[in-house]
Amino acid sequence: MDSSLILQNLLSPPVLFFFLGVIAVLVGSDLEIPAPLPKLFSLYLLLAIGFKGGLELQHSGLGGQVLPTIAAAVAMSLLVPVYSFLLLKLRFDGFNAAAIAATYGSISAVTFITAEGFLETQKLPFDGFMVAALALMESPAIIVGLLLVKLASPQRRPDAKEMRWQELLREAFLNSSVLLLVGSLVIGLLVAAYSPASVAKMLPFSEQLFYGALSFFLLDMGIVAAQRIRDLREAGAFLVGFSIVMPLFNSLVGVLISKGLGLEPGNALLFVVLCASASYIAVPAAMRMTVPEANPSLYISMALGVTFPFNIIVGIPLYMTLVNTFLPSPG
Amino acid sequence: MKRVDLILSERELDAVIKAIDAAGAPGYSVLKHVTGKGPHGLVSDSMDFSGLGANAHVIVFCPEDVLPKLRQGIQPLLDYYGGVAFVAEAEAL
Repeated sequence: MDSSLILQNLLSPPVLFFFLGVIAVLVGSDLEIPAPLPKLFSLYLLLAIGFKGGLELQHSGLGGQVLPTIAAAVAMSLLVPVYSFLLLKLRFDGFNAAAIAATYGSISAVTFITAEGFLETQKLPFDGFMVAALALMESPAIIVGLLLVKLASPQRRPDAKEMRWQELLREAFLNSSVLLLVGSLVIGLLVAAYSPASVAKMLPFSEQLFYGALSFFLLDMGIVAAQRIRDLREAGAFLVGFSIVMPLFNSLVGVLISKGLGLEPGNALLFVVLCASASYIAVPAAMRMTVPEANPSLYISMALGVTFPFNIIVGIPLYMTLVNTFLPSPG
Repeated sequence: MKRVDLILSERELDAVIKAIDAAGAPGYSVLKHVTGKGPHGLVSDSMDFSGLGANAHVIVFCPEDVLPKLRQGIQPLLDYYGGVAFVAEAEAL
């Protein structure tokens, strides 16, 4: 692996602020960010990335690699939970196996955004349609997770809980992060097409504040991830190992698909990051609602306490190295 | 007069409030961002950004005859999602 890529990534402001958050918890500092602020920053990041993606999508259109890439992304979000579930079922009941599998089939928007920042520092271009792939990969894994529970967990307990499909579908497709991301993408698309003069008015908000907001949000994520470390004792070595090995395996699959699709290195890295990341927002909220039998401290701690830090610290530069190895630039 | 204290996840607050209204309770008070420790460990507001949120504490004062309807509406929600409810005697000043 290219050590200079790791170093550049480690010394980027978002990752350094992430470490600061972790250190704050480990040394027992009273650093605390009031709860509404991270929520505000997470909504801001989704709005900004959706809007920016919409602007770029208007310029690139829906031809070429766009639809095959989006279809491949959705296929991965359907497939990853299935093979993850088969592996997890060896050690866990159907409820926990399905909830964890769905977590790994869905994506982390913040990991994607951090990868975009990494590509910008590497001066590697990427396309706006990858944001559409991001938005469309959030929900299918939730549905697959629930189908897996339905198939593999017969009503074996007298108090087995009935699934609420209507609520599940609303949660899967209309949860706040999916709605804001898709809505901002459509707004960006419409503004770029019909009101290009107002694009410049949005840029100070949607672009110039973006990197600082990401750094601040990652400071909070560092605090939250470090607080989750103690829950990992409950998860055990198998799940901690799964939290690293499964993203690595998914990244390899993602690289091979990127090669098959003929993606440019920037888009390929984003595709791989989507395959390798795990959800700690949409899926936990949906699973908590629809599979209350599963233990949230397992799937949230794995995604947030292991996979997310692994991806933003080591994963992104490692995946870039894989992309550079399997998809060498024509130049 | 009875006092009912409910502690549940903020995510289920809307459903619980609908059940309280449907039971005919004259009113309720809601305290959000409630943290602490329950049967499943610590409850914090650190995951608020994800929509999981912390707990809410709902306080209802109602006549005794409202209690059966309240129990009928709320018990299934507590059974499904988790949460606790306690009933106590209350007396106006």
